[in-house]
Amino acid sequence: MSARMSVYDPIAPYRDGDVQKYRTLADVKGKVVGFIDNTKPNFDYLIEDLAEVFKTRHGAAGTLIFKKRQASVPAGDAVMQELLDKCDLVITGSGD
Amino acid sequence: MVSTAFESLGRAQARGLAFPEMPLAIVPHPFGAIKREGIRELAIQCAENILHLVSPAAAPQGSAIAASQRAGLIELADDLDAVNLHFRQQRWTDGFPVVPPTRARVERMLRATRRDPAEVIGLVAPGYGAATVERIAINAVMAGCDPEYLPVLIAAVDAVTDPKFNLQGIQATTNPVAVWLIVNGPIAKQLGMNSGANCLGQGNWANATMGRALRLVLQNIGRAMPGEMDRATHGYPGKYSFCCAENEDDSPWEPLHVERGMRADQNAVTVVGAEGIVNMNTRSKIVDEVVRVFGQSMPRPAGNDYRTCGQPWVVLCPEYADILKGGGLSKAEAKRRLWEASKMPASMMAGIDFEQATHSRRAELGVVTRDTLLPACASPAELGILVAGGPGTHSAYVQSFGNTRSVTREIT
Repeated sequence: MSARMSVYDPIAPYRDGDVQKYRTLADVKGKVVGFIDNTKPNFDYLIEDLAEVFKTRHGAAGTLIFKKRQASVPAGDAVMQELLDKCDLVITGSGD
Repeated sequence: MVSTAFESLGRAQARGLAFPEMPLAIVPHPFGAIKREGIRELAIQCAENILHLVSPAAAPQGSAIAASQRAGLIELADDLDAVNLHFRQQRWTDGFPVVPPTRARVERMLRATRRDPAEVIGLVAPGYGAATVERIAINAVMAGCDPEYLPVLIAAVDAVTDPKFNLQGIQATTNPVAVWLIVNGPIAKQLGMNSGANCLGQGNWANATMGRALRLVLQNIGRAMPGEMDRATHGYPGKYSFCCAENEDDSPWEPLHVERGMRADQNAVTVVGAEGIVNMNTRSKIVDEVVRVFGQSMPRPAGNDYRTCGQPWVVLCPEYADILKGGGLSKAEAKRRLWEASKMPASMMAGIDFEQATHSRRAELGVVTRDTLLPACASPAELGILVAGGPGTHSAYVQSFGNTRSVTREIT
């Protein structure tokens, strides 16, 4: 048998902890839908249309839209708290 | 929501955040190129998809994820080629061959620090892997580092995981961003680093392997694999290694770490989210001319600094630092003059970029109009100046990622 060598695996595993779950929704009737605009081209238009579609076709009670300062920075804590307090569903985007 | 080209990033990122089943609605790529009238139909379909994704029928059952803090050993044939073939197949390298991280080599590396191998220095975005001292040492061995380099790398990892550095943005962006390591203090000479001729080029073991080791940490611990979570459109060669020391001996000013509140005899590393180098070559020795032409070489209407308020750097060669100093400029005054001279008319930007600038820089500048002269960064103090390099008339402009701030850490 040829000689063997032990080497370390350089990869880090994904973090420990409980997998985060999300609340499910049967529908959005009477619910509030929140959006975080990531400032990428066209996402503001998609949000505008989605908000209208959720309200007119699916009965959403309202929508909340926040726009980030830039795509590559996180939304602020105050925005996240307001979304948490007021929304049943939050949608944001990543990529171009 | 993600576009098709970013689905792998979205899924990997969700896993890194311990939210592997995050519902993702997919839109065609390039989404930003779709005409306005096409968005409405997409929105109708997206709304249906989103409602299906969050419905009780589609919801997965969560469970715990266990992640060992200690690195695992693997058995391979005792052959350099075989080890490199395995690492290459696993995508554990930067594309170059590596030094096998054997137990003996990693133990030797770890003897260069008194820190516990299991200590977590930081969670490295975008995968949020735990950068333990041991894992940093493993990647340092792979890069070819001498053990004495390890404390620099530990401090560098601590620095890049500072939230103000915005490693998440830097690692996952389509922009070409490298992490530039700048070393200050007596340790630079002790390690044999190059701060002089060709200090940002090839040829110095410490510069090359430390920059490379940090890249391996970002890729292997942060899981920023090119084409997966590292979404760089092109990248650039600085992503292999980008590391130098400041030429403190030939600088007429206080070095960077002293400017940031440390003593000259302390050792420090600074990390910068850097997007490449632009040569600035003038033969003028007249201070006002030098400031003017350097300032006019910096504005970039399609760059990030002016749109987002960044933190660009000027790397002055010693000769030109001396010229500015000889003209009576302190380092702070040199920054102020360059900051003023590099302002760019907002009208130079494309319409959509101008609109973004009006939004992203409103808090800093108030109302931005086409006539506004945009500075590259919020204040003169934010403009980085480094004195480095050897003889010659060349200085360099290093634009930043934009949404990032350099971070300095003491090396202990």
